[in-house]
Amino acid sequence: MQQTFISTIKQALGRSQGSKPAEDLFTTEPSEHEKIVLTQIQQRTSAQHNANMSRLREVTGPLYVNLHEHSSLEETAEAIAALIKEKSPEWGTEKHVCRWDHPLINQLKLESLPELSGIPIHTTPIFDVTDQARPIPSSQKEQFRAQVEQSFIGITSADYCVAATATLALRSRPGQSRSVSLVPSIHVAVVKEKKLLSTLEELYTLLKWDPAERKEGLTNNLSLISGPSKTGDIELIMVHGAHGPRELHLFIIGEEQ
Amino acid sequence: MAGIDSEKYKQNAHKAIADPVLQSALTSLQGRLGPATKKLYNTLPEGQELRKIAHQYRRKAIDNLDVLLETLAENIRSHGGQVHFAPSAEDAVEICVRIALENHVRTVVKGKSMVTEEIGLNDGLEQAGIEVTETDLGEYIIQLAGERPTHIVAPAIHKTREQIGELFTEKLGTPYTDDPPTLTQDARRALREKFLTADMGISGCNLACAETGHITTVSNEGNIRMATTLPKLHVAVMGMERIVANLEEQQAILRLMSMGAASQQIGGYVSYVGGPAAPGHSDGPEQFHLIIVDNGRSKILADETFREMLCCIRCGACLNICPVYGKIGGHSYGSAYSGPVGAVVTPLLFGINDASDLCSGESLCGACRQACPLEINLPRMLLALRSKLSEGDPSWQVKPARNQERWLFRCWQFVNGNRTLYNLFYAVARKAQKILPTQDGMIRKLPYPFNGWTSQRNMQPLAPKTFMQRWQEKQEGKK
Repeated sequence: MQQTFISTIKQALGRSQGSKPAEDLFTTEPSEHEKIVLTQIQQRTSAQHNANMSRLREVTGPLYVNLHEHSSLEETAEAIAALIKEKSPEWGTEKHVCRWDHPLINQLKLESLPELSGIPIHTTPIFDVTDQARPIPSSQKEQFRAQVEQSFIGITSADYCVAATATLALRSRPGQSRSVSLVPSIHVAVVKEKKLLSTLEELYTLLKWDPAERKEGLTNNLSLISGPSKTGDIELIMVHGAHGPRELHLFIIGEEQ
Repeated sequence: MAGIDSEKYKQNAHKAIADPVLQSALTSLQGRLGPATKKLYNTLPEGQELRKIAHQYRRKAIDNLDVLLETLAENIRSHGGQVHFAPSAEDAVEICVRIALENHVRTVVKGKSMVTEEIGLNDGLEQAGIEVTETDLGEYIIQLAGERPTHIVAPAIHKTREQIGELFTEKLGTPYTDDPPTLTQDARRALREKFLTADMGISGCNLACAETGHITTVSNEGNIRMATTLPKLHVAVMGMERIVANLEEQQAILRLMSMGAASQQIGGYVSYVGGPAAPGHSDGPEQFHLIIVDNGRSKILADETFREMLCCIRCGACLNICPVYGKIGGHSYGSAYSGPVGAVVTPLLFGINDASDLCSGESLCGACRQACPLEINLPRMLLALRSKLSEGDPSWQVKPARNQERWLFRCWQFVNGNRTLYNLFYAVARKAQKILPTQDGMIRKLPYPFNGWTSQRNMQPLAPKTFMQRWQEKQEGKK
C-alpha cells in the first residue's frame, strides 16, 4: 500500500516530468546562528543565570505554576514534605505519592523523612532488559500503574526548564515513568538551577545539535509541559485541572554557596 | 460524522444569525482570541519575518512530500512503531477498526483530531461495536449532545454553561450546576474512569518531524497525553500533509501554531511520539500505529492553484478574525472544517459543487490571510474556487454552477464595453427604477432575478446623471 500511496504523491508532484526532490531537506550541521546559541548555553555566566531565574519568576505566575526556590537538597525535601502534608487527595482519602527513580529525586531521601512516615512513596521500577530471554513481568508494571493511580502527588525531575515559557522537557527513560507527571492531581518537578535555559530556541538547538543530546535523540516520548492542565471549553472561562494535574509545583535548587 | 451537509449553508446561517447565545459567544471568542494572537505575533524573537519563513518551510515540505513521508515511516518503524497508508477515508477507518478488533479493543479514548472527524472514524468504530469517548472537554460536550463542533479549537463555544449543566445532569447523572469549574470537575471524574480503563487511545498529529521520526500532539487539558500514555495501544491518524523535514522547522511552526490556535507561546502539553514504550520502560503503550491519510489531498497537491492549501496546520486563527464566521458560526459550513479554512478545504475535499455556497459566502476581505500564522493566501483560493464555479472545470468535475449568473455577467460585460449601449441602458434604467418601492430614498426591492441583492439590504438608486455627464457639463461650464 505504501508504494501505491507514495507513487500517487510522486505523480501529483510531477516527478515523472522531471521535478526533483530538494537536496537540502535534512540539516547535517548547525548554522552559524545555532553555533552561537550553543556557545551561549555553554558559557553562561552567573549573571545570565540570575536573569533566567528572574524571567522564570515573572512567567510562572500567569501560567499558574507554583515556583519554589531553595538552596539545598535538604531544604527542598522539607518543603516537598510540607506540601505532601498540607494538600489533600482528590480521589480517595489515603495519601500516596509516586516518584521517578532519578538521581536528583533519590538524593532528596524523602522516604527517610520522619514527617512522611506512614505515607507510602512509590518509586518507578527499573526493569533489567539486558537479559532478553527474561520478559519483564507485566505484574510489576501493573502494580506500579495501580500505585500511580492511587497517588495524589507525582514527583519528577526534568531534563531542562525553559525560563521564558516555564516549559519542562521530560524524556522517557527507564525509571522515569510518563504517568508520574500526568495521572496524580499534583505534579511536583524538581530541577537544578543549572538546567535552566532561557528560551525554547535554546532547548531545541540543544536537542538537535549538542552531541550527547543528539546521541540520545528525542526518545520515543518527549513531553514539553508548560503549566498545569487547563481548559477554556465552557464559555471560554479558564479552569485548571481538566484531565492532567490541577497543580504544578516547580522546585528550583540553586547552587549551594 | 463523515461527509458534509454544506447545501444547508444559507438555511443554517439564517438560524445562526437569529441565535443570540451563539452571537454573543462568537463576539466574545473573536474579541479575545483575534487581538491576542495579533499581539503575540509581535513578540516573536525572530520578528514577524518568521511567518514568511515558516510558510516557505511548509511549502518546501509539501513539494517534497514523497521523500518526507518515506523518511518518517522508516524512522518510526526503526523505533518499533507501525505505519499504515490509507488512500481514502474508508481505508483509514478500516485499518483502525482492524487494529482494534485484532487486539480485542472494546473501549477507545480519543484526543481531538480534525482528520478523524473528516473521515468519520467514530462512526466506523461504533459500527464495529467499539465504544468511543471524545476526551477534549469541548468535544466530550458535543459528543454527549450529539452535535458537530462549531470551532476547530473551541468545539462547544455555542453552548452556554446552563445548557452544559442540563446536559451533564441528563447524561452523567450529576447534580445540576452552571459553575464551569464544577462542570469541568464532573467531566474530569467521568473521563478519568474512561482513561484508566480504555483499551486503545486515538490521537491526531499536529505536525510530524520526518528527520527524527516523531508525530506531535498538542493540548492544554492533558487529555491527549492521557489517551496516548495509559492504554496499551496508541493509534495516531494524520493527514499526509502534516509533516516537515527537520526539528528546527518543526519548532518554528509549532510556536506559530500555538499563537494562532490559543494565543499561547507554546501549548500547555506538547508531546513528540516516536514509537511505543521502549523496552525496560515502566509505562506507555505496547503498540504504536500511525495511519497516514490521503483522502483527496493528492488531488489538491497536483493542482498548483490549490497546493498552498496543504500548508495549512488547522490552528483556527482565521476563524477568530473572519467577519463571516463571526456571524454565521461553524455549523453553517456543514463540515468538520469551518471558517475561511473550511470554505477552501471543504469544497476541495468533498466536491466544489456540493459546497459551492461556502466560498461564495466569504467576503474576500483578506483578514484571514493576515491572521494566519503562515500567511496562507486564502482569499486567492476562494476566488479561484469561485472562478471554477463560474466557468466549470472538468478536472475537478465542476459544472458551471450558475448559468444564469454567467449569462447575466456576459451581457453586462457587453453593455459595459460599448459607450452608446451603456448610456442607453443607463437612461432606461434610471427611468425604470422610479416604479420600484423605496424607503428613505433607497430602493427596497429589486425585481427578479436581482431580488437576492435587496433581500438583506436597500440599494442606492442610480444617480440622475452619470459621472461622465457631470464631468462634461462641468468642462463646458468652464469654457
